[in-house]
Amino acid sequence: MKLAAVDYVILLAYFAFVIGIGWVLRKRVSTSGDFLLSGRSVPVWITSLAFIAANLGAQELVGMAASGAKYGIMTCHFYWLGAIPAMIFMGIFMMPFYYGSKARSVPEFLKLRFDEKTRGFNAIMFAVMTVFSSGISMYALGLLLHLVLGWNFDVSVLASAAIVLAYTYLGGLTSAIYNEVLQFFLIVAGFAPLAILACAKAGGWQGIVARLPANMTHTWKYMGHASENPMGVELFGMIAGLGFVMSFGYWCTNFLVVQRAMAAENMSAARRTPLIATIPKMFMPFIVILPGIAAVALAKMTGVGGGHLYDLPMKLSNGVMVGDYDQVLTTLMAKFYPAGILGVGLTGLMASFMSGMAGNVTAFNTVFTYDIYQSYFRKNAPDSHYLMVGRMTTIVGVALSILAAYVCKHYNNIMDLLQFVFAFVNAPLFATFLLGMFWKRATAHGAFSGLVSSTVAAILTFGLTTAEHKGGWISPVHHFGSQMVQNFWIALAAFTTCFVVTIVVSLVTAPRPDKEMEGLVYGLTKIKHDEGARWYQRPAPLAVFVAVLVIVINIWLA
Amino acid sequence: MDLRLPSGLFFAILGVILTGLGVFAPDMRAPLTDININLYSGISMLVFGAFLLVMARRAARKQS
Repeated sequence: MKLAAVDYVILLAYFAFVIGIGWVLRKRVSTSGDFLLSGRSVPVWITSLAFIAANLGAQELVGMAASGAKYGIMTCHFYWLGAIPAMIFMGIFMMPFYYGSKARSVPEFLKLRFDEKTRGFNAIMFAVMTVFSSGISMYALGLLLHLVLGWNFDVSVLASAAIVLAYTYLGGLTSAIYNEVLQFFLIVAGFAPLAILACAKAGGWQGIVARLPANMTHTWKYMGHASENPMGVELFGMIAGLGFVMSFGYWCTNFLVVQRAMAAENMSAARRTPLIATIPKMFMPFIVILPGIAAVALAKMTGVGGGHLYDLPMKLSNGVMVGDYDQVLTTLMAKFYPAGILGVGLTGLMASFMSGMAGNVTAFNTVFTYDIYQSYFRKNAPDSHYLMVGRMTTIVGVALSILAAYVCKHYNNIMDLLQFVFAFVNAPLFATFLLGMFWKRATAHGAFSGLVSSTVAAILTFGLTTAEHKGGWISPVHHFGSQMVQNFWIALAAFTTCFVVTIVVSLVTAPRPDKEMEGLVYGLTKIKHDEGARWYQRPAPLAVFVAVLVIVINIWLA
Repeated sequence: MDLRLPSGLFFAILGVILTGLGVFAPDMRAPLTDININLYSGISMLVFGAFLLVMARRAARKQS
């Protein structure tokens, strides 16, 4: 793919805008709270779009198109069965505790509800995870730009990291959030045309249905048996593994997204943040997954010269040619985008990468400053000291991410291992939160032993099962249809272990007095029902509306 | 800062660039594209950018 001068102009204009936004917002930062928490003053439409944009990293964009080509429309379950119900649950049931407890981070909530060791365990796991997530995503982007455009790996990695550092250092979380909204618009502007063009070329949805195997164009119809659908998953694994454990774990406990809602200006806005975010989220599959599905149809069509319109990219793996699905998105762009819109698409890809990385960095600096530095290194320093630490941590966070990107580049199996770890790390945490928020008998020792034992359970499950030649290092007793299904089951094992161990240990340890848990547990908390607000400004009617909408979509494409 | 201002400006600029390309180089095509995609996306971005700018202006008026 070759870029024209105009494409570079668009890319540079975008860089100028993101840094400019950071520059203007630097004046709003005078305390550590302004820098790390946005001073809880961001309008709700902005927090809502940032809520999904922070999750919409380059890997998500590239990965969803890839899964669309590999598994077909079943990939949409990540949205319509996974993310949306979890986001609704988070807004209605969990946000009152997060926002109302005045905790500044997810680990800090664990400290308030349980104890210091539970917080420490979670804060350190989270800090390591964010650094490596942004490292992996940086590596993926550098590799892609190198493969597609021939750009130098080091230059693209360092330059994009420098830009993210510039605007997060200047304006802190507010700057990251504001830029995430711009990035979200740009991602839509850059990729919606691709979905429309690819779909139209393939003869519309009817044309795609006619050319693809039936189990790639139905979300639910072929879920009855693992052997019938391309993902190799059975109904229970899908609903319990992805729909419940993995999605709720990610959307309800990952500070990366929770932080966006916590920056909202009041409780009602904080609760509506994930709810409003479900609306654009619901329609994202039409932009990010549909091109991948259309690509499979295009690969079966012949053009004027008799050749295929499009060939699915391939790569050599262990001596066999296999589909290189990660390149589906970029090769489609090369086929459909002339100079001009190509620049917008590419800038959209860069934007998604930056929003993902900035999300990780801003979550990392908050958790490090408040949950690690302030709790274990210096407790009672003046606020200006923590502001300075927050700023320094931003620089260190970016530097560590770059380091992680190079670790991934040189040790590919480390990346495999980490992606496996990330697949389950949030699942047990959701059990901890579920019990912590809704069962006042849950104790600190229970929560801690639950979290630790579930990590062991996940590793054991990985050691006893195989999928696509991964795992099974203890002794393979079960084989899964795909790595994705294996991830679902590992998450399920981790969640169940955490849930059971937490209950058992809680029952044999001393309960905490009710008085200490006001505002932290359901039943001991008075949730304001915003009486004054008009009905359409309240969270509950909004939740019902989006729930009906997502059910309709599920039935429509079943 | 009202975020609608910089976002509106950004999309207006993108819109002008793409619409300009669409008008002055209407034959620019990628291998599988049959339509003047720059022109259509450019116009959509112009409309979106203008909408954001108008909204920002209205909000600014209300405040003053």
